[in-house]
Order: sequence, then C-alpha cells, then structure tokens
Amino acid sequence: MMTKIVTLLRTNFIMLIRNRALIISSLGLAIISMLVFGFLFGGSGSAKTALGVVDQDHSSISAQLVSQLQKSNSLQVYTGTYSEEQQALANGQRAAIIVVPSGFGDKLVQGGAHLQVFYDQSNPVTAASTQLTVKAIVDGINSAATHQPGPLTLDQQAVAAKDLREIDFITPGMLGILLMWANFAVGIQLVSWRELGITRRLAATPLKPISMISSQVVARLALSIVQTIILLALATWIFNVHIYGNLALLALVVVLGALTMLAIGFAVASFVKKTEAANSVILLVSFPMMFLGGSYFSTSGAPSFLQPVIHTLPLYYLNDALRQVIYSGASWGAIQTSMLVMMAWIVASMLLVWRAFKWL
Amino acid sequence: MKQQLETLSPETATVATSNDVMVEVRDLKKSYHHKTAVNNVSFAIRQGEIFGVLGPNGAGKTTTLEMIEGIRTPDTGTAILAGLDIRRQKSAVQRIIGVQLQATTLFSELTVLETLLFFRSIYPKGLNPWQLLRDVALEEKAKAHPQDLSGGQRQRLALALALVNDPKVIFLDEPTAGLDPQSRHMLWNIVLKLREQGKTILITTHYMDEAQILCDRIAIMDGGQIIALDTSTGLINRLGAQAMLNCRLNGQATIGEIRELPGVTGVREANKRFFIYTSEMQPTLEALLAYAAQRGIPMTDLQVRTPTLEDVFLDLTGRELRPE
Repeated sequence: MMTKIVTLLRTNFIMLIRNRALIISSLGLAIISMLVFGFLFGGSGSAKTALGVVDQDHSSISAQLVSQLQKSNSLQVYTGTYSEEQQALANGQRAAIIVVPSGFGDKLVQGGAHLQVFYDQSNPVTAASTQLTVKAIVDGINSAATHQPGPLTLDQQAVAAKDLREIDFITPGMLGILLMWANFAVGIQLVSWRELGITRRLAATPLKPISMISSQVVARLALSIVQTIILLALATWIFNVHIYGNLALLALVVVLGALTMLAIGFAVASFVKKTEAANSVILLVSFPMMFLGGSYFSTSGAPSFLQPVIHTLPLYYLNDALRQVIYSGASWGAIQTSMLVMMAWIVASMLLVWRAFKWL
Repeated sequence: MKQQLETLSPETATVATSNDVMVEVRDLKKSYHHKTAVNNVSFAIRQGEIFGVLGPNGAGKTTTLEMIEGIRTPDTGTAILAGLDIRRQKSAVQRIIGVQLQATTLFSELTVLETLLFFRSIYPKGLNPWQLLRDVALEEKAKAHPQDLSGGQRQRLALALALVNDPKVIFLDEPTAGLDPQSRHMLWNIVLKLREQGKTILITTHYMDEAQILCDRIAIMDGGQIIALDTSTGLINRLGAQAMLNCRLNGQATIGEIRELPGVTGVREANKRFFIYTSEMQPTLEALLAYAAQRGIPMTDLQVRTPTLEDVFLDLTGRELRPE
C-alpha cells in the first residue's frame, strides 16, 4: 500500500521534472524577467515619500492620525486644504494624498470609516511603492482601530517606506507568474493524457482517477515550492531582495496560489477535448493575466474600464498577497481579502470540475 | 502454420459448460447518440481458451471489450469474470485481468522499465518487470522511452503491461494491427505461450489468419451483434463448401447458369469476377471450364482455394471482412 502511494507520487514527480518545456516556461521565464529587470533597470526609488494629508474631520482622532504619520521617517507629510493638495499632486509635488473626510473619527470607532487616497501615476515604480506604503498605513489604521479603543497609534513598521527598487516590485510578480504557468499546465497534462488514451488504459486498472489526480496535485505543489525557493534564493543572493514577512505566511500564500492555479487548470481540462485547444486556452488566459494581474507593473494606472476585470483576476490577488508579505511584511489581516478571493476561485473551479470533468 | 491448425483444440463443443466458464458476457448493450453500438451481446469463454471476436471496423468489438474490462459502463447487461461481476466488483475484476488496448500510448517521460514498474505498483500481486521484459524480448529497451520504440516493440510493451499483474484473463484488442509480418508472428507465439500457462484470452481482430491460427472459438461480430459463434472449422463447414473458385469471365456469363453447374452451393458476382462455392471441387471445375469453352467466354485469373473465415463473413453479411 505504502509502496503504491510512494511509487505513484514519485512517478508523477519524475514525469514533471523531465518535462523540460514546463520547467523552462515557468521558472525560466520568471528568472529571465528578474535578471532583465534587475540588471537593466536596477535603481532605487526615493527614500521619503511626499504624502499630502487633507484633514476635513478636525477631530482628535484625525489629529492623532496626522501626527502618527509625521512621526514616520520615511514619509514627508504635508497638510493643506483639498484644493491645495490636489494642486500639489497634479504638479508632481506629492506621491499621494490622503483625504480624511469629516465624521471619520466617529465612524472609525463605530466601523465604516473611509479614507480617500489619490496617487501620482506618472512614475510606475514610485506609484507602486506609494501604494504599498499607503495600503500599509490604512491596514495599520484598521488593526489599530480594532485592537485599541484608545489613542490611535500606527504600526511604525508598516508605515516605513522601504527602499523600493524595480527588482523588489518585480520579484513577487515573477513568483506569481511562476506559480501560474507551472500549475495551469496541469490542465494541459490531463487533456493530453485523455486525448492520448492514457486515462483509458488506466481505467482498466484498479488505480482510481482520484489517486492519479491527487498525486499529480501533490507533485506539482512540491515542484512549485522547489521553484519558489530557487527563485527567492536567486532574488535574495543576487539582488539583495529582502523578505520582510513571515516565511510561514509566505509559504501559505504560495501553496494557496498554486492550488488556485491548479484548480483553474482542472476547470479548463473539464471543457476542452484536445491538447492543442487546451494549450491555446491556457495561453489566452495566461498572457493577458500576466500583465493585467500586475506581475510586471502596477495596474492602478490602467484605464477604468479595465479595473473591474483586473479585480477579478486570481493572479492579481496572488501578486498582491505576495507583495504584501515579501515587501510590506504584512500579516494575515492585510492579505485576508486576497486569500479569500483565491479560495473563492478554487471553490468556483472545483464546482465546474465536479459537474463537467470526465476522466475518459 | 498448417500444423498449428491441426493442434488447435479438437473439441467440437461450441458452448462452454458452466463449470469451466471463466468469462460470461450477458446481454451487453450500449448506445451512443441514438445509435446502438453493441446490441445484446452474450457469450461465454472457457478457462484456458483463446476466444476470438472477428469483425470489420465499427462492428462494436472495442466497445464490447471496454464494457467487459470496466472501462465503459453498459446501458444494460454485465459480464462475470471468475465469478465476479464487473459492474459490482470492478476493482476485484480489474485485479485479475490484463488489457492491451488498440494503439496504446504511454507516458513519454518514463522509460520502458519505469512504465512497467509504475503499472506493477498498482496491483498487490504480480510478476517481476525484468522477467516480463525478457518474455516479450524487450530487455535491451529497458531504458528507452516509448517514442523510441518501433510499432512492434510498442505493442510488445503494451502486452507486457497487460501481464504485469499475472492476470487470469487477458484482453487483446487488435494486437497486430499495422505490424510487419515478423512482429505479428512474434506476438502470436507469445499469445500461444500464454495459453499454455493456463491463461484465458479474448482477442479481437479483423484479420482472418490471426483468428484461424490463434483462436479456439470465434465469434463473428457485425453491426453490434454476434452473428455466428463456433470453432474456425465449424464456421467454415457451415458454408457447405469444400472449395472456392474465383475467376474473371469476360463474356456473357450469368450467375444463374453458373449456379446450375454440378456441385455449386453458392455464387457471387462482382464486375465480371465470379466467386463460386462448391462442395465438389473437381466436377465443378471441369464443368466451369467446359462452360466457358462452349460459350467462347475468355476466362482469366482462375484461383482455387479452401474457404476461409472471410468467405464465412461474406456469406453471412454480403460484405467483405476487410474492404480493399
């Protein structure tokens, strides 16, 4: 029995490793992109982010918020009126402005408080950095609000804008692409096995389809983790990329991301009969998602009609969670939404698989 | 080859008695898109028998086999193998059967030996993969990948995979299709050896020579149904013909007149070519030659041969077993 499971897993893993096209397209693509961006475009963003704050609330809470922000030594905080700050933003004198609306302080205690944030999109790298910083600020506010009913303090680590280089932005994005390419491919594999008659041959044996499929999943997860370690090792050793977050949380994100892509791959295999068609469908889905999902550059500058599309893409949320953990050192709270969206994608895909997938 | 024919089981019983039935197929039925692919097929195979299913492409042979092997679910009917019902005890049945499918493709990333080891690991009991490689003469190719094998070698690998669990019943679906004569003979010898080991074998084929050489009994299948079941000799004897004369008559010959010739049991004509079945070869031949001479009809390409299963099929269906 044990031999059977071990042989099953080992055989599936060996087949994966020997599939050179897969390794090249996933890990190779990620590494090459990293090298290109790391060496060609290497450079750092500015140490201090110019942040404008418009306080329309004038409450003790909003005052605390402003003073906390001013305490950060990676933020240069300017206060002013709405029109003043918007003008400064338009002139490129601010990376972002935060508008604290009136009633913010009251709503913060009750729940349902909103902040308006405006970004300068002209420099994608700085914009990305700023977004991460502001997001961390907002998340910091959220955790402060839920944990401390007293004076508002912000997690200073979350507020510190680290030196964001192109490579720091790209690395999580490349990890996202890696996980996508390597795991979508399971769909092509299944369709191929079915089209070639391999699943038919297996159907004449006592080996149950679910056993074969689960060992494929485990093998691909193992490969994903190995490839992740290789990619991050290269990033940290060659480019001094820092992983600020918890490694266990990062592992969780990687595993969930891989499972999400696997589930989508299965869903594709449920509808496509021929390997060539499976290849085409996967390409059609992967390529746009690579770019719209924010692997190479921030998508907040994309036209507004695309934004709803972008916000459904699983890779978008995977990249977000990876960036938060690797670059912002975020904890579960900050990535919760992204993780939940990925789980939703898994559930939706598995529903499709349950209804439509045929082994033969 | 003639000797092989004579040493085939001399039993004339055409029905398997209940105490030695290994495979019992009961009323199998399968339809696709309102077309009935397999229509109430039943037969029984004795333990240690090589049972052939002969028929043209599209007769429903593969579908029937797939239902017995548990790959496909029948609409109605079932198959009982060694007392186990394929519909209710599928895993148990599949542990004692081995199958070689038509055109088996295998994992291209694995070597021949790795493939054998993988399949071997599926079963609790089985044979040593190296020994199997020796039995099918593929030892040298142990480290090769399936795509580097020739057609004959690939079929032998598929056969080895069918034997990896030392099965009681082996299913071979068109095992020599597209193979060169040498590979075909090699495979036939392996199959005959398997029967010597006491294995029960079901083989589908559209080759008459294969059916005649290997099979103890043959079921002729056409249009989803079994239209005849007997030993090869039995089927041919049913034609009531001792010989078949085949010639071209480039003149005013008619079927009616040929049928009147002494000894003739049946005539078929296609494009001036006459196929004449006779139970008395010499009288018919003499009368035929006289007839042609008398009428001044030129005769060419005269062939005389003993009837074959192809003739049986033709007789039963009016169609060729293998359209040229």
